[in-house]
Amino acid sequence: MEFDFTKEEERLIAEIRSFMKQEVTPEVQAETLKSVGICGGPEGRKFIKKFGAKGWLAANYPPAYGGLGASEMIAYLIRDEMAYAGAPHNLVGAYMAGPTILRIGSEEMKKQFLPPIARGEVEFALGYTEPQAGSDIVALNLRAEQKGDFFILNGQKTFNTHCHVAEYHWLGVRTDFDVPKHKGMSLLIVDLQSPGITIRPMITMGNWRVNEVFYDDVKVPIKNLVAEKNRGFYYLMEALDFERMIPPGYFRRFYEKLIDYIKETTIDGRPLSKESWVRQKVANLANELEIAKLLYFNLAYMLDKKKIPNYQSAMEKLFVSELSQHIANTGMEILGLYGQLKKDSKWAPLDGLIEHLYRWTVVETIYAGTSEIMRNIIAQRGLGLPRG
Amino acid sequence: MNFELNQDQQMLKDAARGFLSKECPSTFVRKMAEDEKGCTPEFWNKMAELGWLGLLIPERYGGFDGRFLDLAVLLSEMGYACMPGPFFSTAVVGGITLLEAGSEDQKKAILPAVAQGKQMLTLAWVEKDGTYLPKGVTLRAELKGDRYILSGTKLFVPDAHTADTLICVGRTGESQENEEWGLSLFLVDRKCPGIKLHQLNTIGGDKQFEISFEKVNIPQENLLGEVNKGWSTLKGVLQKAAVAKCAEADGGAKRVIEFVVPHTKERVQFGKPIGTFQAVQHHCANILTLLETSKFLTYQAAWRISQGLDYEKEASMCKAWVSDAYSRLVALAHQVMGGVAFMEEHDLHLYFNRAKATELAFGDSRYHRELVAQKLGL
Repeated sequence: MEFDFTKEEERLIAEIRSFMKQEVTPEVQAETLKSVGICGGPEGRKFIKKFGAKGWLAANYPPAYGGLGASEMIAYLIRDEMAYAGAPHNLVGAYMAGPTILRIGSEEMKKQFLPPIARGEVEFALGYTEPQAGSDIVALNLRAEQKGDFFILNGQKTFNTHCHVAEYHWLGVRTDFDVPKHKGMSLLIVDLQSPGITIRPMITMGNWRVNEVFYDDVKVPIKNLVAEKNRGFYYLMEALDFERMIPPGYFRRFYEKLIDYIKETTIDGRPLSKESWVRQKVANLANELEIAKLLYFNLAYMLDKKKIPNYQSAMEKLFVSELSQHIANTGMEILGLYGQLKKDSKWAPLDGLIEHLYRWTVVETIYAGTSEIMRNIIAQRGLGLPRG
Repeated sequence: MNFELNQDQQMLKDAARGFLSKECPSTFVRKMAEDEKGCTPEFWNKMAELGWLGLLIPERYGGFDGRFLDLAVLLSEMGYACMPGPFFSTAVVGGITLLEAGSEDQKKAILPAVAQGKQMLTLAWVEKDGTYLPKGVTLRAELKGDRYILSGTKLFVPDAHTADTLICVGRTGESQENEEWGLSLFLVDRKCPGIKLHQLNTIGGDKQFEISFEKVNIPQENLLGEVNKGWSTLKGVLQKAAVAKCAEADGGAKRVIEFVVPHTKERVQFGKPIGTFQAVQHHCANILTLLETSKFLTYQAAWRISQGLDYEKEASMCKAWVSDAYSRLVALAHQVMGGVAFMEEHDLHLYFNRAKATELAFGDSRYHRELVAQKLGL
């Protein structure tokens, strides 16, 4: 057993941290915070390109496709450092679409998409969810009819997070209507500039934007089909196991700001950090962050050993998503009345961070797989309980 | 990072599983709860032969020269079997205390006998206040000439009646500025005049005692470590014992899951195995999550202790989490298993009760969260 990083890994962390100190400006952090950790604007894009130029964005891709051929442990480390620095880290291209293309895409597809992904030049948007298809993803219905060298797409997606900042849509579509639902799905890569695509903003209670996307007779070349037609369900399920892992570093940031706050804020001449109930709650957050770190790196460890983390990724996602809410709730408890104050309000502590966190962490236990689905997976795949 | 046991550790684990499944079935566990001693000489000698009693003891004192992580692996199997008896008091707590504070002569005099199964130890620490904090120790140890005279009462002392030597925490001094100063450790022959034992009846079926010391007269050489500086030893003992308890909990939790999962597949209601119902699946998912999160913290702390790294924060994080988690997961297991496991005849309650004892031993969640807060610099 070994619970520390190697010397090389420590060196890399130090290198990345000093890079982050220089390059992750307050503007980059503000853009990241205003969105759900995505590459939400021009500053973020500039940063990602610089980061990609170092090879860090897709470190675990083979060098032939723009990566460094590094281990999953290194890649996970890097992603956690990005999250910890408040840089964009919720990247579909680098972390979800890219790894799937790498595993199952044709050579042509790999050569076309992986190097630009690795360089941070293009981003993807996940295109699974539809009005009638959320947790029940096989109910998706966006129709892709094959006509010669093209698919013609008609239908609608909703809650698609990255569409307004992405070049490509990583689209789950229905290519066969005459078979059981999970046998008629395919994955397509769609240029979001294609004629017939309409993107409309949806604003969340966390104040960030997601999108509904309408497809009206959109033509997509056949070569944009990812691997085999009608096998999309299986690819999607596997891709979800990659999407699921949340780098806990992002929430460690907020926890550390809370720690600074309780040390500096006094009530009746006593720092909040000396109150027994505050110490108890904050210590529990520290424990949960420690667990989250180990659950997260265990996934990297398994992947490097060529093991498939099926229930483990669900468990990590479940745990970290609930932890994010614990941080928000504990923060609110500690702030008392001040917790209500929004950013830019007079007296708002921590620049309204906790107030915002409290609202947007509502979705953490919902997206990328609800906690209910996560528990189903843990029970069924982790313990072998029968499917309903 | 590497989250797997090495070959030697896996071998130890398999050997322990084999031995305990044969020698420590739940019938033995139940019998020992009723038994006055809580263990049999045969069982104890077999563990000595396997080298378990000397696992942490260096070779030059007749031990196995194992490391803390190896001990954790062994303890996990003991927890899996809900093993009763004074192994923990003797080999873990007593052994660690002696190794940390003992002089060369004291170690030579006691440790080889412990490894051979010929001496049992226990640490008498907590008193009426029910706390492990230094201020909880009021038992007086007065130096008169070349003898120490001990007077006071200890509570919750495990296996006092089978211990040959009590390691007694006494107060030799007091300091307003430093709460931690003034404690000393003493080796006390249990058969000394003035020592009275009274057994406490506990949920865990373990043998815990009240011990009253009435002017117990011991030689000055029986001081263990430096006078008034006993807390520096006790601090480490507490944390290591706490992590060791978490290792027991790790195995216990695995056994509990082995009760639960087959039940969810076999128990049929409303025409289906109850494992198909989401509420039941979610309880089971929560059990597995509590187990795995506990496992990671436990082995991290054990590893750090093994490597001689700073471990206090990780040890307290571990005990703070596992104390709650283990009790909670057994409660969830009861919920899933319904009436059948509520019966005395079913073994689950053995783990439920033991989980509470584990939670409370060497600092509960609240105690260790406060230690974590201190380590965080708050």
